[in-house]
Amino acid sequence: MTDVSTIAETPGTTASTVAGAPRRRRRSNRLSPLLVAFVLVPFAVESIWVFWPALQGFWFSLTRWDGQTPPEFIGVNNYVELAGDATFRGALLNTVIWLVLFGGLSVVGGFGMALLLQKERRGVGFYRAALFTPVVFSLVVTALVWRVFYQPDGLADQILRTIGLEHLIRPWLADPQTALYAVILPALWRQIGYVMVLFLAGLKAIDPALHEAARMDGANGWQRLWYVTVPQLKGVNAVVLSVIVIDSLRSFDIVWSLTKGGPYHSSELLSTYMYSAAFQSLRLGYASAIAVVIFVLALAVILGYLVRAFREEA
Amino acid sequence: MTDFDPGRRRFLGHLGLAGLGALGAGSLLSACASSASGPAKSGGSGAVTIQSNLSSPQAKTAIEKLVENFNKLGKGTASVNTIASETFRTQLPTYLTSANPPDLYTWYAGSVANDYASKGLLLDVSDVWQGLGEYPQSLKTLSTDAGGKQVFVPMTNYWWGFFYRKSNFAKWGVQEPKTWADFLAVCETLKSKGVPPIGIGLGDTPWVASAWFDYLNIRINGAPFHRELLAGKQRFDDPKVKAVLTRWREVLPYFDPKGKAYPFQEATTALLAGKTGMFLIGTFFADAAPKDALGDLDFFRFPIIDPAVPVAEEAPTDGFFASAKSANPAGTKELLKYFASVEAQEEYVKSSSGIVLPVHPKAKAADSPLVTKGKAMLESAAELTQFFNRDSSDALQPTADTALTKFMDKPDQIDAILREWQASAEKVFKG
Repeated sequence: MTDVSTIAETPGTTASTVAGAPRRRRRSNRLSPLLVAFVLVPFAVESIWVFWPALQGFWFSLTRWDGQTPPEFIGVNNYVELAGDATFRGALLNTVIWLVLFGGLSVVGGFGMALLLQKERRGVGFYRAALFTPVVFSLVVTALVWRVFYQPDGLADQILRTIGLEHLIRPWLADPQTALYAVILPALWRQIGYVMVLFLAGLKAIDPALHEAARMDGANGWQRLWYVTVPQLKGVNAVVLSVIVIDSLRSFDIVWSLTKGGPYHSSELLSTYMYSAAFQSLRLGYASAIAVVIFVLALAVILGYLVRAFREEA
Repeated sequence: MTDFDPGRRRFLGHLGLAGLGALGAGSLLSACASSASGPAKSGGSGAVTIQSNLSSPQAKTAIEKLVENFNKLGKGTASVNTIASETFRTQLPTYLTSANPPDLYTWYAGSVANDYASKGLLLDVSDVWQGLGEYPQSLKTLSTDAGGKQVFVPMTNYWWGFFYRKSNFAKWGVQEPKTWADFLAVCETLKSKGVPPIGIGLGDTPWVASAWFDYLNIRINGAPFHRELLAGKQRFDDPKVKAVLTRWREVLPYFDPKGKAYPFQEATTALLAGKTGMFLIGTFFADAAPKDALGDLDFFRFPIIDPAVPVAEEAPTDGFFASAKSANPAGTKELLKYFASVEAQEEYVKSSSGIVLPVHPKAKAADSPLVTKGKAMLESAAELTQFFNRDSSDALQPTADTALTKFMDKPDQIDAILREWQASAEKVFKG
């Protein structure tokens, strides 16, 4: 099967480094100098711009540092403080909610839309384009549009008023009960289109003969979906999962432009809390500790999936 | 990357910032990377570079005009580099610690400047102050660091107050309140007429709530306690601070409920449209007001609560400090002297068209009843404070935003909120 190579060849994901290394070692009995150059030059560049700063981040997480005076080593104090920090716990919980809702719904929505729009019919291109359009906008622009939508007496309130649900009206982004969900919605609006495109590509790659054969064997639509389509999409699923997890954990711009994590930390994610700890409170050591937690979370979810994928392949 | 510092500490620092992004959020990477690239700056001792956060069109024109005039004087040359104010705020430490920093910065007097001075980042401008004998002692104290030298040169200040439309107050049949009891009565009258009495704008600009905290604190506990509290010498869970929020709670029902959701700019629009009665805000809000509304605007000072407490007013002072590493300290000081002069400040006030007061006692402010009234209010005040973040630090401001927006939502949890506030403030003070 080719599913692992799909991951390895997806640029820019953590998976590519993780999945690529062991494969390369297995094959490399004789290395051409050109190949070595192709590996080593990007590796050197990555080392300077990615690996070294990442290691630095680990080091800073063990220090107290305001960005102006030299960092001061304080051991694991930052992590101890994290454990007792209610805001951090809230942000962690919100990040999990975000991962489940944003991740889950964008997979369900994206897959559903891909199934609906996979058949070539007249005008289907228009719908695909319409769903994909939000991906083209910068998230900050998206946030501006949605803010107008949510503002007092804005479109959201007007719609509710028209359908007689006035009692539901509230300051969507300023109410701690609704702020997080009001931010997830625009993020989903964008992500569904993106995930749809990934699934559409996957669906196109499925050999129609498989469906044909299943139909001959008397499988109904659901059975074909569950026993033919879904297993065939395994490779795409890995990509989608990586994209979803990484996008969830790095979701920052939309939250920052809509609520800045407020009101009083109720829509705080780990990423926004890290930013405000670093650049508002100027506690770069503490922020680095939060960054390490984000890194570990991302790694855990993705490695978990990759290990399973490898095992199934072996 | 023109001023990328070869020094090891900064080098590691920049990488560390980038590391935060690489570890956590890819989207942050760009923000962090930009912190490594400083302003474009021509080296040498030639032109003095001003890093300016005055990015609103009029203020930008005004500062450029001043620099143009300075260049004509033949005492040196200067150039302005205008940066969006939010970027400026977050990048300022990076500017100051870089190896080849811009010479002069627009910023705030008081504890913020003092903080940088204590790290040895600011140029000693005591000799500029020797020529500023006409300036009041209060401004000199404000510009002096803990070590006793002057590090700041003020140019303008402005005031905060309850702004309202004269025509609307006349229509509703209410007068400017002087005391807290009067104030409550005005609120009650407006509410009975179906107008939300007190406008506020906390969505995106939650720091506006700090004005309420500052004023109630300086009216109830006095300015010295307020300053000590903000410097970490008093506690936020002190009963005196609780008294502030308890008093505030009395007027919470009069706040515009929509104020939580929109920023102060929209709260301004609401005030001008007569959708709220009055609005505690600094004069900068009028930058966004249409010209025809300006003549109808008036303000009153925050009502007196305890007549025994000396009256203090918020008068945030803007001006300049210079980098200790300036390549051209002599030229920088010449420019500072010019900014401190009567003609420069009058020119600035004239071309900025905003409601600001020149700090030079002899410089004439704009000729409008509103400005005259504001100037008189500040002159009659026994003490001046700056604003929450200026009297403490930008790092403490978010703790106030969290505590105060939460208080306005859940006023029955005052004790818990103050405990949390104290805990998060301690983290900021400890670093």
